[in-house]
Amino acid sequence: MTTAMTARCLLVEDREIALDPEGYLVNLSDWTPAVAEALASEEGRVLTLEHWEVIDVLRDFYTRFEMAPAMRPLVKAVGQALGPEKGKSLHLMKLFPESPAKVGARLAGLPKPTNCL
Amino acid sequence: MNNADSTTALLVVLRHAPHGSSWLREGLDVALVGAAFGQTVDLLFLGDGVQALIKGQQQGPLGQKGTHPTLDMLAMYDIETLLVDVESLAQRGLTEADLQLPVTLITASQLPHLFAQHTPVFNF
Amino acid sequence: MQLHLLNRSVASSHVYRDALRAMSDDDYLLLIEDGVYGAVAPLVEHFSSIAGRLFALREDLESRGLEGRCAESVIVVDTEGFVQLTEETERTVSWF
Repeated sequence: MTTAMTARCLLVEDREIALDPEGYLVNLSDWTPAVAEALASEEGRVLTLEHWEVIDVLRDFYTRFEMAPAMRPLVKAVGQALGPEKGKSLHLMKLFPESPAKVGARLAGLPKPTNCL
Repeated sequence: MNNADSTTALLVVLRHAPHGSSWLREGLDVALVGAAFGQTVDLLFLGDGVQALIKGQQQGPLGQKGTHPTLDMLAMYDIETLLVDVESLAQRGLTEADLQLPVTLITASQLPHLFAQHTPVFNF
Repeated sequence: MQLHLLNRSVASSHVYRDALRAMSDDDYLLLIEDGVYGAVAPLVEHFSSIAGRLFALREDLESRGLEGRCAESVIVVDTEGFVQLTEETERTVSWF
């Protein structure tokens, strides 16, 4: 899917990865774990096992429903996949401060969630 | 006017079939935004809107996204009240068994009450 | 009590049937835009179940040359009357 405009490129393992003005992938198929690492390190985040668990949940959500989740369904999906302890907005806020649904979607190589303001 | 049984749930009425126009998708978007902001949302499938629930839908011939994955997603937004007008199904030769999700069937006599008791109603 | 708005002709769209089925006994129906074609005989017979609660917008009748042909059972209102109807009712529901 190439609907967004390329604002800049990120060099990951000798590949140029096109990003839109808000830092989301222009081509969703460009995503690899290394791309997620590169996007995270750009903003000074280091991805831990707990981050990767949520990224997996996000990618699975997109595969099933073809949409990036807003916060409410993200919390629910994480709870279903990783258990009630992790299915809490507090846990997600710690991992992806500011906006877990938006930051998470970006690192997981999904489009920007549309119905979350 | 009977306010005793009025509900604060939002009623989104879906009256258009998938693929032919963007009305169905726009209605679903309103439902998702409402739910994302913590509203209780009830969906009513009326007229051609019942076609949105048919099993076995796919993307469009040019790869256009369908709405069926969004319907599967509704439960993740805690949208679980899917009301279906029984007459609209029958007119189109459909039964509950043809639908991709569990629904609550609504008869003709329940329909006016549904509109009267929900505030607000969004008709798509 | 609700005000239902219909902007499609009964001759070309079945949406009026869903509108009628969704109406409560004290609801109003206002025909606007192409909906006003339904205010003329014989099409107006489709609305026999809501006699006394059927309105049509004068401006839309006039622009279509229908004002003199509007059935007697239809209550004709101008834009100001439209506004009054919305004030009398709790909310509007649009059918299109």
